[in-house]
Amino acid sequence: MEVSFAKEIASLKLGSGSTFRGEGILAVTKALLQSGVGYVGGYQGAPVSHLLDVLLQAEDVLSELGVHLQTCTNEAAAAALLAASINYPVRGAVTWKSIVGTNVAADALSNLSSAGVIGGALIVVGEDYGEGASVIQERTHAFAVKSSVWLLDPRPDLPTIVRMVEQGFELSEATNTPVILELRIRACHVYGSFDARDNVAAKVSANARLAEPAVFDYAKLSHPPVTFNQEIDKVTRRRPLAEQFILDHKLNEQIGPADGDVGIIVQGGLFNVLNGRLAEAGLSDIYGNAAVSTLVLNVTHPLSTRQITDFCAGKKAVIVVEEGAPDFLEQAIGQILRKADLQTKLHGKDCLPMAGEYTPLVVADGLAKFLAPYGRDVSALTAWLAAHKTRTAKIAAALKTPLPARPPTFCTGCPERPVFSAMKILKQETSAVHVAADIGCHAFGTFAPFSQGNSILGYGMSLASAAAVASVQQKRPVSIMGDGGFWHNGLLSGVASAAFNKDDGVLIVMNNGYSSATGTQDLPSSRPNDEGRGKGIEIERSLRALGLGWIRRVRTYSVGEVKRTLDAALKSKDKGLKVIIADGECQLARQRRVRPVLAKAIADGKRVVRQRFWIDPDVCTGDRSCIRLSGCPSLTVKPSEDPLRTDPIAHVNNDCVGCGLCGEVAHAAQLCPSFARIDIIQNPSRIDRWKRAISRALMRPFGGPSAAITNGGRVT
Amino acid sequence: MKNSNPRPTCLLIAALGGEGGGVLAGWITEAAVASGLVAGRTSIPGVAQRTGATTYYLELMPREPGKPHPVLALNPAPGQVDVLLASELLEATRLAGFGMISAERTTLIANTARVYTMDEKMTMGDGRIDAERLKPILESAAKTAVFVDFNAIGQQAKAPLGAVMLGALAGSKLLPIPDDALRDAIRREGKSVAANLAGFEAGYASITESTAAPATARPIAARAGVVAAIAEFPARSSIVAAEGVARLTDYQNAAYADTYLAHLRRFARLPSMDDATLAELARHLAVRMSVEDVMRVAQLKLRDARVARVIGEAKARQGDIVDITEFMKPGMDEIVGLLPPFLAGPLHRLVTRLGWSKVAFPLNVTTTRIGGFLRLRLLCALRGWRPHTQKFHEEQLWLARWLGLVEATLKHDPAAAREVIGTAKLVRGYGDTYRRGLANWDRIAITLIEPALSAAMSSPDLADHILQARIAAEKDPDGAALIATLDAIASRPTAHLQAAQ
Repeated sequence: MEVSFAKEIASLKLGSGSTFRGEGILAVTKALLQSGVGYVGGYQGAPVSHLLDVLLQAEDVLSELGVHLQTCTNEAAAAALLAASINYPVRGAVTWKSIVGTNVAADALSNLSSAGVIGGALIVVGEDYGEGASVIQERTHAFAVKSSVWLLDPRPDLPTIVRMVEQGFELSEATNTPVILELRIRACHVYGSFDARDNVAAKVSANARLAEPAVFDYAKLSHPPVTFNQEIDKVTRRRPLAEQFILDHKLNEQIGPADGDVGIIVQGGLFNVLNGRLAEAGLSDIYGNAAVSTLVLNVTHPLSTRQITDFCAGKKAVIVVEEGAPDFLEQAIGQILRKADLQTKLHGKDCLPMAGEYTPLVVADGLAKFLAPYGRDVSALTAWLAAHKTRTAKIAAALKTPLPARPPTFCTGCPERPVFSAMKILKQETSAVHVAADIGCHAFGTFAPFSQGNSILGYGMSLASAAAVASVQQKRPVSIMGDGGFWHNGLLSGVASAAFNKDDGVLIVMNNGYSSATGTQDLPSSRPNDEGRGKGIEIERSLRALGLGWIRRVRTYSVGEVKRTLDAALKSKDKGLKVIIADGECQLARQRRVRPVLAKAIADGKRVVRQRFWIDPDVCTGDRSCIRLSGCPSLTVKPSEDPLRTDPIAHVNNDCVGCGLCGEVAHAAQLCPSFARIDIIQNPSRIDRWKRAISRALMRPFGGPSAAITNGGRVT
Repeated sequence: MKNSNPRPTCLLIAALGGEGGGVLAGWITEAAVASGLVAGRTSIPGVAQRTGATTYYLELMPREPGKPHPVLALNPAPGQVDVLLASELLEATRLAGFGMISAERTTLIANTARVYTMDEKMTMGDGRIDAERLKPILESAAKTAVFVDFNAIGQQAKAPLGAVMLGALAGSKLLPIPDDALRDAIRREGKSVAANLAGFEAGYASITESTAAPATARPIAARAGVVAAIAEFPARSSIVAAEGVARLTDYQNAAYADTYLAHLRRFARLPSMDDATLAELARHLAVRMSVEDVMRVAQLKLRDARVARVIGEAKARQGDIVDITEFMKPGMDEIVGLLPPFLAGPLHRLVTRLGWSKVAFPLNVTTTRIGGFLRLRLLCALRGWRPHTQKFHEEQLWLARWLGLVEATLKHDPAAAREVIGTAKLVRGYGDTYRRGLANWDRIAITLIEPALSAAMSSPDLADHILQARIAAEKDPDGAALIATLDAIASRPTAHLQAAQ
């Protein structure tokens, strides 16, 4: 069950004369259609999931334009999809989260770029680095350089982003080279507007198919010996063409005065932060009228040697504002200056940090360091930085101790939480084992209160990462993997390898039916239903096909059963891989599906039993052991009403979706008798009322609930 | 140049993932654009924010004819936020800690309702960060700070938090957006419009009609109706004692309550005893004397009042039928505990030998139906038998030991005595939790309190040591932190320990 994108889809249909309003990633999607793209594919991941999610529901738009949409099982498949543009004059675009996705795609990417393309090939990568992000700050730039792929890093402003998509295809075709469009997380979600143009149907597409395949041309294969020629072609023909294209089409922007004794060379994606701080220093304004000569690199690879030398010539110094390590641009520019024998002083990582996100504070500090020696007045910047120091110091002093962190966690009612509850209880009863964690919602099991997991090696990599661990451990390691990771590559790099090597270990597959962490996208194993794309390809059957014998299925919410099954797997005499498929539908998706249905049923007067959990405030002693084993957001604390108890007691708030975990944990860990399930029978049937009445009558003689509420809950 | 620059209005929204902050930011953007402003917005969603702390940032400014499109920043610049709208007080404070709030520029509108972090919830004692402690910090940091319990308002108006906050934002008149443009944004979005508009108006009123923040809920000092103080004790103790007597009479009988009073009288007569200390003793003693054994649990679960309150909390409607199913799982300890000591002893040994000590019997008892109701009635009826049970016997032994330590410590270190009293709270809960608590308490008694007493002279920092140990035991009930703390204390010998050697 996916979210509805009706509004977004409407904006994809906009034509010339109308204004597109929306977020960066949707603007990219619209730009693809305006560029006459013939096929689109990719693998979901923040912050680019939207591109695919929206198109998946835009069937009418796609079929009208004849655009083929491929939901790839991983980024390698997505990169391989672009092979269509090697032999055919068709534009294609794929998307994924970088750096992780680019790592997975690397093999296909090398061979694609070696052979080169005749149809424009665009790779839209979302850089999920920085505040609240989930990946390492490794640079996609490295892949662009090593594979001779061009890298666009557009100014985070919708018209510029759209222009880069459209001209990115042209650049790709003019140079027979794939192009990467890199967007940082805040740029993907930046809201803005641009003047829409009509969507363009591709000349070659699903609606205009070619009668014959491409003629055999060995030169199009990335296979020796032609790869040697391709390497030469990359540097002697494609790159010079690219540098020329960049100049001819003014892909990079010269902002502010051309002359002046100092200059700034900035990655396009960082321009807005830079401009904000220049404005603070009084050296620019909200409209980007910089008083310092600035070269905005919307293309960060390749650099046009001429453009760099022209920009630097006659300047005392330039600073390269380049996020992350290593300092590819600074090194390249340094070499250009040296070879051109220009004496312009080169600054960059001497003023700015080598690692970390370039936030306003960081950039301000770097600018001040750079500009002051060249006689610019940076007092406004330094004053601002000083004021910040005082402010934060004052708060820290007042707080005494730092505030507790609030990391993300499993949603209320998440089916994966109970598995970690079971693991924690088992750990308390027996002993700890090595836990190989993975990418996905279940990675939240590494946070309190569970704190489980010894390593995370990549998406679907948990089992593979435990292979050698098993050989140096007396106890079997446990690997956690989601169904997303399972299909992404866990089945092959993990399960097949374990089966092949007869690895003795335990694998828990969280079968929640979606790729939930990236926005509940459907998977091959998702249940097929009208709105989804699931094919119901059974995880269990694929495991059996690999010859695995020890396979158990558990309902995740049955904590006791999960615990027993895991215990059995750890103690089993079976020497092969033991797999526990933990079934439980993603609660986010489930609520999205169930809520409206129930609401309607209740409105229609149908009998509906709503369940939620409750903690008896008289019986709860406030020891909080339930919270330490559950961590459910709806399981919280409230002040005790007992005048003799000052500590707060546990409390279930109204977000409870009645998943039953608290009760199960109370049983499994033999916690306390404070938990109760409340069944609210809405629109009760005559039989319900009847049973109720009998029970009530029978309870009376034994001092049952007093008359006021004797209908034992029948609200009157 | 800088001063002549037009500056956008900068709005930072602090929210928790999944709370609807995105929808809220969307409404504001829509309304801004509809009313002819240039709006920039960005956020950092993605799984990394699910139920965790996140932010949404907006910049708004008038469209200047002939001017190019403004370059709106992607990140909020510390100290240059005009409005900080926070759905949670700790998150507002977090952003203040990042320097986002400035006394020259920032108006803070913060929800006073706390959503506790895992750290706060996990602690066995009270790990909560008091909202009243955060408010003054925020007040001193911001130009203006407005505190409202948006959750309470939302519940009243049966409306989502985001809509209430949007209303409050409108009411505060801090944005260059007309109120109706915001209302229209809700209508245009077309999702549960009625509820959202109701929330909007409620939030609006909360600002325009009174900016005073309603006091946050506090634990009740004394149960309503309990005014009949027991004359012989000083003011505070007498109220608690009355509470205790009421509880213990209900727990067992008047005679049992008298033994409670007898204990208190003995302590009240001790020279170094003051009202506050006696009150604390009275409180802990009453709680420990009314330990939750099976009979007590059954008794509490059959209270009339429960059903009514459950109906309320469950938001049941007219005509609904509400059933309560209790999750109980008496283990061997509970069962053996029901027997008289002379039987319990041997049986316990047998059970341990057979490895049955972990055996337990899950019962899901529906107390609103005759079957479950009768089962609990039966357990209740065993109340008279309680004084003859092993469990009761064990409790008496523990009480004697604890009271003994309190009395002994009082003689030469009243401050420490107060802490000894406080250690009683470590022994609580059920099953393993109870056993772990008991073990922790034992460890503190043996390694800290008893040696200090045997040294027959008080240590200047005994009180502090006991407090540290108790806090450690509460933070990590599994005992690891406690052991570390006790070792640390032992490694720095105090005056009296040296004297003792």
